[in-house]
Amino acid sequence: MGLILPLFLLLCLGAGVLRRVPVYDVFLEGAKEGLRTAWRILPALVAMLCAIRAFSACGLLDALCGLLAPAAALARLPRETLPLMLLRPISGSASLAMLKSILHTYGPDSRAGLVASVMMGSSETVFYTCGVYLAAAGVKKSRHTIPCALLAWLAGSIAAGWLVAG
Amino acid sequence: MLQALFGGMMGLSLLYGLIVGRGEQVASAMLEGAEEAVRAAFAMAGAFAFFCGMTAILRRAGAIQALGKRLSPLLSRLLGPELPSDALEPVLLNLSANLLGLGNAATPMGVEAARRMGGNSDRASNALCLFLVINSSSVQLLPTTVIALRAAEGSVSPASIALPALAATAISTLVGVLACKLMEARSWG
Repeated sequence: MGLILPLFLLLCLGAGVLRRVPVYDVFLEGAKEGLRTAWRILPALVAMLCAIRAFSACGLLDALCGLLAPAAALARLPRETLPLMLLRPISGSASLAMLKSILHTYGPDSRAGLVASVMMGSSETVFYTCGVYLAAAGVKKSRHTIPCALLAWLAGSIAAGWLVAG
Repeated sequence: MLQALFGGMMGLSLLYGLIVGRGEQVASAMLEGAEEAVRAAFAMAGAFAFFCGMTAILRRAGAIQALGKRLSPLLSRLLGPELPSDALEPVLLNLSANLLGLGNAATPMGVEAARRMGGNSDRASNALCLFLVINSSSVQLLPTTVIALRAAEGSVSPASIALPALAATAISTLVGVLACKLMEARSWG
């Protein structure tokens, strides 16, 4: 399982060398873009981590987790991951901040940390993605798009609980 | 949506905190959150730059086009005859870029694909619905942002979630596609 990352990196490099890409120069270009992305998401990350930290400090997050506990148990999800699951389709930066908070509090290799990581990767920001593309298509009646996308999100989240042993 | 989420969470937390006598803790937690966000962004920046650099090589080597060619028969069957012929190429490029985790390259192609699929109708075609559902269920092969964040938080094996994440995203995409196909039969709206 630990081989995926080195193999993927080898693929990048191998394809580059084979196609005679100037690998160093292109790496630098990409790295610059990556740093710009980190810089660009920072304000939203600040806003959302403030909100999440406040939400957990006042006790409302615990109350929400407690409320969701029966549903979590049913789906074999650690209750700490349910707030992330709910935020995932709504906002990319809010769910990233929530994932960060879960990894920080419970540890990235705890079951909650692993399930949260898988959950984060299993779906996109449904409302944002659909919103952008529907607007681009100039379509008003989106028909079954949102319900089906939310069903996919639900399936991915529940799968996260089943796929991480524990 | 984000205005309500941010305003609601901050406002509720402050009100509830003041009522239960934890107002001060809530305020200092906000400051901690801000500080933590900056630390996290800096900790992740290195991994971000690294992954973007490596995938830039993959992109320059023509991987998006190569992958697109392989996906072509599957997608033209999946999206059916409703797909305008000029929309197939941006669809293929968008999904290939998404698979490789090149979000910045994927979005403009997705917008172009959606524009061509929208046509003059204000009602989404079956093909457009399916394309949107596939896009919003995430099809990334390697969740590099999550790996970067896990590394920043000191995980002993940041990439250990790669396989379960791939399985989960495959399941979510499959469920989305099946749901779309079922709904097509009962044409809604």
